[in-house]
Amino acid sequence: MSAPNSNQRKACWGARDELWKCLDDNQDNAASCEKFQKEFEASCPAQWVKYFTKRRDFLKYKEKMQTEGFEPADRPKESQS
Amino acid sequence: LPIVVLLLRCTLRSSAVQQTSGSTHHPQRAWLSSQVPLCGHHTPKHRTGLYGPFTHPQQTLGSSRGPLSLPLFTQRVALSQGPNTSTAKIRLRTRLVVTLLFGGGLLGTWWYVRNEKQQNHRMQRIEQLKKVALGQGDFSLLDHRGHRRTKRDFLGSWVLLYFGFTHCPDICPDELDKISAVVSALDKDPSLPAVQPLFVTVDPERDDVPALERYVKDFHPRLIGLTGTPEEVKVAGKDYRVYASPGPKDEDGDYIVDHTILIYLVNPDGLFLDYYNRMKDDVQIAESVRNHMKSYIKLPE
Repeated sequence: MSAPNSNQRKACWGARDELWKCLDDNQDNAASCEKFQKEFEASCPAQWVKYFTKRRDFLKYKEKMQTEGFEPADRPKESQS
Repeated sequence: LPIVVLLLRCTLRSSAVQQTSGSTHHPQRAWLSSQVPLCGHHTPKHRTGLYGPFTHPQQTLGSSRGPLSLPLFTQRVALSQGPNTSTAKIRLRTRLVVTLLFGGGLLGTWWYVRNEKQQNHRMQRIEQLKKVALGQGDFSLLDHRGHRRTKRDFLGSWVLLYFGFTHCPDICPDELDKISAVVSALDKDPSLPAVQPLFVTVDPERDDVPALERYVKDFHPRLIGLTGTPEEVKVAGKDYRVYASPGPKDEDGDYIVDHTILIYLVNPDGLFLDYYNRMKDDVQIAESVRNHMKSYIKLPE
């Protein structure tokens, strides 16, 4: 399987951008954006779909950190040995 | 800078008082002449109070409106003030010139000092990076046309080097587009030597010569893609301390390689001089390369 060429990359990025715009407009409600999701999965290699999905999750998380602040998870206390 | 402003204000205030203007809509002058003077050049008889802000003693001289439009007492005062105008003007002009020269001198000094400081910073950085001593070794790889190339082949050129792989979702195309933009921008300047962009794969399993050929043609025409056996590629990567880690394969056998995303600048002696991360845009990189080129001193043979 050869790597996507420039046109294929641009098509994939376009589909991704459409999907992300839809998700932004619908408060990340995946059900409303099924059409875009299908288009995205059709335009991009599977690895890229996974990669971009994780990327979006990361960007959302980062945004949340920046707007809502950070609460450290409870860590087990260090044991003195 | 505040000193310059203060001096300018002094001259402006005195000029407002002593120069003719020929118009009555001067709320500014009223304000100026009613302020407490900070420079002591203010002659008392030109203040407001007796004549009001608009009845300037010298207004009749050189005024375009004609003497009859002004109150009579100002005309009499004007005639008696005549001889002072020329000396006042000369004094004003000298003061302005002095202020401008002084201000210009200050600005020039500040500019010079700033440039020196920037140059010092640049030299310090180069020294630090030289200590890190990346790219000291040699590499032997195949370019995208199947010709063998070693590091020696690129001596004598400025090189912008990037490690990546053709199955890269977005970062590598972005960075290669950026490099292409930098090279094109620098190409426009005929006084600068041509920069050689290089793309070395971190994924030799998939990125063979035909794959690289397909890939590099989407970017700058001078971009050379380099690949080889996994060992050859590893040697090149290690030289620049490039981190590369192929991820898990999916059902297609596709995988993403996690890797260092840096653009390396190598000088014509093969010395690593600088690196640029994702935050630097093409304008900043071009500027940095230009500066390195300007301060480049060829090593003795």
